[in-house]
Amino acid sequence: MITVNLEPDGKVLELHDIRSVVGLLNKLGMRHTMAIIARGGELLTPDRKLSHGDVVLVRKVTSAG
Amino acid sequence: MKCSRCKATACVSLPSHHSGFCPDCFKLFFTRQVETAVRREKMFTRDERILVALSGGKDSLALMLELSSQGYDVTGLHIDLGIPDSSEKARAKVEAFCASRGLRLEVFEMAKWGLPIPDVKRFSTRPVCAVCGKLKRHHFNRIALAGGYDALATGHNLDDEVARLFANTLRWDVGYLSDQGPALPAREGFVRKVKPLFRLSEFETANYAFLQGIEIHSDPCPYASGASFTGHKELWGELEHRSPGQKFQFYQGFLQRGRRAFAALDKAEGDVLAPCTACGSPTNAGVCSICRIRESIREKKLEAGEA
Ligand code: SF4
Ligand SMILES: [Zn+2]
Ligand SMILES: [Zn+2]
Repeated sequence: MITVNLEPDGKVLELHDIRSVVGLLNKLGMRHTMAIIARGGELLTPDRKLSHGDVVLVRKVTSAG
Repeated sequence: MKCSRCKATACVSLPSHHSGFCPDCFKLFFTRQVETAVRREKMFTRDERILVALSGGKDSLALMLELSSQGYDVTGLHIDLGIPDSSEKARAKVEAFCASRGLRLEVFEMAKWGLPIPDVKRFSTRPVCAVCGKLKRHHFNRIALAGGYDALATGHNLDDEVARLFANTLRWDVGYLSDQGPALPAREGFVRKVKPLFRLSEFETANYAFLQGIEIHSDPCPYASGASFTGHKELWGELEHRSPGQKFQFYQGFLQRGRRAFAALDKAEGDVLAPCTACGSPTNAGVCSICRIRESIREKKLEAGEA
């Protein structure tokens, strides 16, 4: 299981069976350039692996106004 | 993925540039894109004074930081819109950012000028964002001219520019299409306007902001709807995904081949501007729309017994 902090929504999601950043993006229905993904302050490219217990930040890049 | 420059682990992958970068090389990439924009569009020089419009969003703060680190003479200008809660937060964030990085900042208050945005929302018949945008542009321009600045810089990125160009193209709005672009020269009553981030996507700016530790003002304006704008950005996100680089080509193509045609058309048919008889800002209508909006809201407030 991984924990996802979704910004700017402020939502927290717990997702299972996610093994990579691209897997996470697909699960969230996002294209690669729609959000920045970070773990422990490090930005991750889509090919990076995720593992059980990871806490990941997903920050959407489109500003609403 | 490895960094295209130094082979360290990449932190950002950029399909439109067929590359990926580590944090240091990404910063360099970002700086180079801004340098290229400034040089090719002849935006400003290191001897000139630049006023940077700071909303509190990541783009404007990233712009301010990058220009200052490149050694440009920059001053930030924040407009406090007077919207309860939201404006205070945005302002506090801009002030804290400028203070912590040693950047010069001016703040202009809409409430002191007599027209906080909530009054526009209550008393104007026009959509609040249309009026708010007009007022902000008016004050940015006016304050830049009054302060003797050489240029006004805004944080518009490639996605903003493409979304706006696309919206205006759908309407074939000749007025907009004739004077849209990353660098608009000064003319009577208007300061030079530049968008040094126009080569960079929203994604790239977001990565830069993250890497530079720029916090994002994540309390959006309570009046924001942004529906069509966001919709167009999503459409373009999809096009870009299918053929990386298309966004930039569309915009570049317009600048190189489209804009001139619209400018010629607008010159033949467009309005002639003269100073507003009340405030001196350029207008085609005697008294400018800013003065008329302000006056009509003042009257409605009086009628409501509130002024
Ligand atoms: S969302 Fe509308 S009202 Fe709010 S700051 Fe933006 S333009 Fe102004
Ligand atoms: Zn590198
Ligand atoms: Zn006027």
